[in-house]
Amino acid sequence: MIKQIILAFFGSIFPVILFNIDRKKIIWAGFAGSLGWATYLAVYNFYMPSVALSSFAGALVVGLYSEIMARLLKTPAVQFSIPGIFPLVPGIIAYMTISSIVKQDYSAATYLGFQALAAGGAISFGIMIASTTTRLISMITKHDTD
Amino acid sequence: METNEVLEIALSSGYLLLSNGAEAYRVEETIERICSAYSLECECITTANGVFVSVLNKNGEKVTSLRKVRNPKVDLYKIELINTFSRNIQDNNISYEEALQSLKEIESAPEFSFPVRIFAACMTSFVYSLFFNGTVFDSIISATISIGIYIMMDKISKLGFFQFLEFFFSGFLIGLISMMADALLPFASEQNIITGAIMILLPGVPLTNGIKDIIYGDFTPGFIKVGEALLIVVAIGAGIGAALTLGAGVRL
Repeated sequence: MIKQIILAFFGSIFPVILFNIDRKKIIWAGFAGSLGWATYLAVYNFYMPSVALSSFAGALVVGLYSEIMARLLKTPAVQFSIPGIFPLVPGIIAYMTISSIVKQDYSAATYLGFQALAAGGAISFGIMIASTTTRLISMITKHDTD
Repeated sequence: METNEVLEIALSSGYLLLSNGAEAYRVEETIERICSAYSLECECITTANGVFVSVLNKNGEKVTSLRKVRNPKVDLYKIELINTFSRNIQDNNISYEEALQSLKEIESAPEFSFPVRIFAACMTSFVYSLFFNGTVFDSIISATISIGIYIMMDKISKLGFFQFLEFFFSGFLIGLISMMADALLPFASEQNIITGAIMILLPGVPLTNGIKDIIYGDFTPGFIKVGEALLIVVAIGAGIGAALTLGAGVRL
């Protein structure tokens, strides 16, 4: 579990280099990934073993973290939210879907495909809620959005 | 500053933002901020690959200008620099020459060198193969594949090739090589290699930006970006599926 959280940290640092982030902020992008994955694991193991719900919780935490960091470091929030959702992407489920289609096991493919779709939608929705909430707060307090 | 000069600065900033993968609301906000810093009224519309700006000049005539983005890429550092630049203009009205100078500096801002990016791509696949419970052997094979894929994608994107075909082809190669590794090496697992290697192809930026555009009410660029992300995922999936089907036929 600890090993996976550390791997999630590196798994957010390396892809963000491909997007040419400011060198001083790489480490904060890494924390976004670990935080999101730690939330995912906590919800999955201690609350309910549901991929969609855990992905939603992880993405929500990543979204809130990146909006807060964006205000603290005065930088666009996407710099942290994009690397942060990388560990949450349902890569294995998507692969298993394709592999079931190839084996012509369509009932498994439908089951897995909907699971991957639900996880993807949950990630989008988590980021969406985090960013809508912070936008609402900043509209109420009349700070300009960043 | 003259009206035309303000328009030029605002449009160039918007163009730089859009071509480096910023959200539509950020582009519009920046252009409006620059125009209002020089007390000009402006209207601005952003689509997925172009910016339109229209301002009123001193004689009450409308001046409209547009710029199209041809080769969009993702560069978060430049977005941040332009963000700072537009706030700087808002706080102290700088001259046209100064503004042009700083835009030129932003355009040539440092990037990570090609070997560093290849290393990052390779390590991404290495980490994710381990992350999805693969062994170190799977990770090493996966990392090797992603070096090749990254170099290939970089060369093809310079040609301005049809982008979904390059994603299909990358997926096909990933599927083919991992199947061969699985068949030839006893300790390699096809599933772990593939899940690691596809991580560098995933369209994270268009997806998150598209969602943000939709939240801010810019439906035109938002749905285009989300649709683009979905098409990329489908292209990668079709590529891997094609390779696996080919392999299943050979084994029988």
